[in-house]
Amino acid sequence: MRRSSGDKLRDALGLGGFSFDNARRNQVLALKGHMIPKARKTGTTIVGVIYEGGVVLGADTRATEGDTVADKNCEKIHYIADNIWCCGAGTSADTESTTALISSQLELHRMSTGKQPRVVTACTMLKRMLFRYQGHVSAALVLGGVDCTGPSLYTVYPHGSTDSLPYVTMGSGSLAAMAVFESEYKSKMTLEEAKALVHAAIMAGINNDLGSGGSVDMMVINKDGNTPLRNYDRPNLRKFRQDYIFPRGTATILSEKFTPLSSLVTIETETSAMQVS
Amino acid sequence: MQYNGAAVIAMAGKDCIAIASDRRYGLRNQTIGCEMQKTFQINDTTFVGLTGLMSDAQTLEQKFRFRTNMYRLREERDMSPRVFSNMVSSLLYEKRFGPYFCEPVIAGLENGKPYLCGMDLLGAQVYTDDFILAGDCTEAMYGLCESMYRPDLEPDELFELVSQCLLSGVDRDCLAGWGCTVHVLTPQGVTTRHLKGRMD
Amino acid sequence: MGDSAYSFSLTTFSPSGKLVQIEYALNAVASGSTSLGVKAKNGVVIATEKKLPTCLIDETSMQKVVMLTENIAVVYSGMGPDFRVLCRKGRKAAQQYFRVYREIIPVSMLTRELAAVMQEFTQRGGVRPFGISLLLAGFDHNGPQLYQIDPSGSYFAWKASAIGKHMVNAKTFLEKRYNDELELEDAVHTALLTLKEGFEGAMDHTNIEVGIVSADKKFKVLTPAEIKDYLGEVE
Repeated sequence: MRRSSGDKLRDALGLGGFSFDNARRNQVLALKGHMIPKARKTGTTIVGVIYEGGVVLGADTRATEGDTVADKNCEKIHYIADNIWCCGAGTSADTESTTALISSQLELHRMSTGKQPRVVTACTMLKRMLFRYQGHVSAALVLGGVDCTGPSLYTVYPHGSTDSLPYVTMGSGSLAAMAVFESEYKSKMTLEEAKALVHAAIMAGINNDLGSGGSVDMMVINKDGNTPLRNYDRPNLRKFRQDYIFPRGTATILSEKFTPLSSLVTIETETSAMQVS
Repeated sequence: MQYNGAAVIAMAGKDCIAIASDRRYGLRNQTIGCEMQKTFQINDTTFVGLTGLMSDAQTLEQKFRFRTNMYRLREERDMSPRVFSNMVSSLLYEKRFGPYFCEPVIAGLENGKPYLCGMDLLGAQVYTDDFILAGDCTEAMYGLCESMYRPDLEPDELFELVSQCLLSGVDRDCLAGWGCTVHVLTPQGVTTRHLKGRMD
Repeated sequence: MGDSAYSFSLTTFSPSGKLVQIEYALNAVASGSTSLGVKAKNGVVIATEKKLPTCLIDETSMQKVVMLTENIAVVYSGMGPDFRVLCRKGRKAAQQYFRVYREIIPVSMLTRELAAVMQEFTQRGGVRPFGISLLLAGFDHNGPQLYQIDPSGSYFAWKASAIGKHMVNAKTFLEKRYNDELELEDAVHTALLTLKEGFEGAMDHTNIEVGIVSADKKFKVLTPAEIKDYLGEVE
């Protein structure tokens, strides 16, 4: 494949677009039987519900790498705009980058129109991007927000299909969470009722789905703004930690070197030799 | 990627951080060298540890140097650890469909306070305030770190803790070991120590 | 650029070593309505005349002081349509920077990006230089800053500057009024007084535009009501 100078420039500046430089090599390595490292996933329970006057989004906080918990308290509710937020499930890198990209595009859109962005705009931008990548960008999203049309809530699937519903769940814990919603959802809930319902749904995911765990994060969006409720409930805090300090000199040191920070080093130059008088 | 073998650990203490790695360089089960550098100082306040395929790690290290040097020339300041890790993340995600087989660990002091960030090979960031592990004996190290870690350790205490966690971890790993390098970064400077480890 | 018949640059040196196209562009700036900027200790103010050729145009549809990022704004003198192009490029450059570093672009970097675009248009084939000068106001880790960018692509940091029709008089006025201890409120007053000096006809809250970037690193355009209050204070 020919590489244009534009490609190199893009590389050097780190500007948008995917690079497939290593794709062929990685394919060969996989064929030769090398273990290809796994990307970090968010097993995830994410939910959203519309209440009277706004939207409540919820998420667990576990990120996994295979069977290992890679992050016990990650953030899965991503910023799109002040009035629009988005929960992400799937490959962590995909959900983070996709939401950040759409957030950036929506900001440009906001500045050029001079109006508060609408949730349906963000939804359309997301589904167009995800459809273009035919599911290879594996981001499953719950998008919620409040705009001039009132509260709205969408789910976006990795292949680019979307739903608009009053209560939604996504991720590996979606069945557990949906069971809670199906039995307890009612229309025109108050904020407190909605928060309790979202909390119960996420807890169902945390307790019944292996891919979900950690704490409960929430985000309330209504026409007055957004209220992040990070770590709204922390049911799984670590209860015990060994209070032991290794005595100094436990490890056998072969060599030791101290380098002061360069900003703290003053370089003294020989000025006397320079003087000519 | 269990081809070359590596173990990297970073931990936060009281206004200081430690980052350490093993020193083995191997090709699967054959040991080629035991003075491999896997942690790199990017600037006064930022370190990065690289595990995975060492050829990719070294390529990435050169890319980091290029980017940070250009940044310093353009903006007349150093990247803070946070900015650096964001840059690394976007660099890795650019290769989403042909990734570098490398999981970076970034540790530094952001305005004098510890900053730790781990990443998978696609650049998904994980921020913690205690410790970050990477490499092929993370399971062994997670257990020890989870039970031994304590917040607000002094630099010397942090050094001993990091050393023991790493040494114990690599003891149960055929692919990593052969001595360790430990950097402890404080607002005054960096103390680099080489540790004696099992050479088998 | 492509291989079209017009792929040569229209901006070529005259025998005396001048690029007359750039000088003509500067003339376009000098015939545009006056804009000015004043840097204070705790912020920057930029202001401009919003002169309309006829009273039949709805003046609320026009905006000359424009936000590029939440802490950087820009105003121009010269050709309005050219400004839109630079605005779009400036906002995009700012977003691209943010996407990589998750940090807002420093004022000096955005200035450089815009200056690079303007320089490119003095050298590239098939294009003409921009017929505008920009005043860029921003607040970042280096404090408040005011930059001016000219059609040639050269840029300078200023304590206070003016561009457009009455720039010479306005600059003389600013030189007399400026001191390093200026607070943002005083800077707004100075800006309004300077603008008033060269204003043809009656200046009121409907025919000028004022934007401020304050120490909270947030830019905002003053509403006509706020401008009215400030105008009341300087009289």
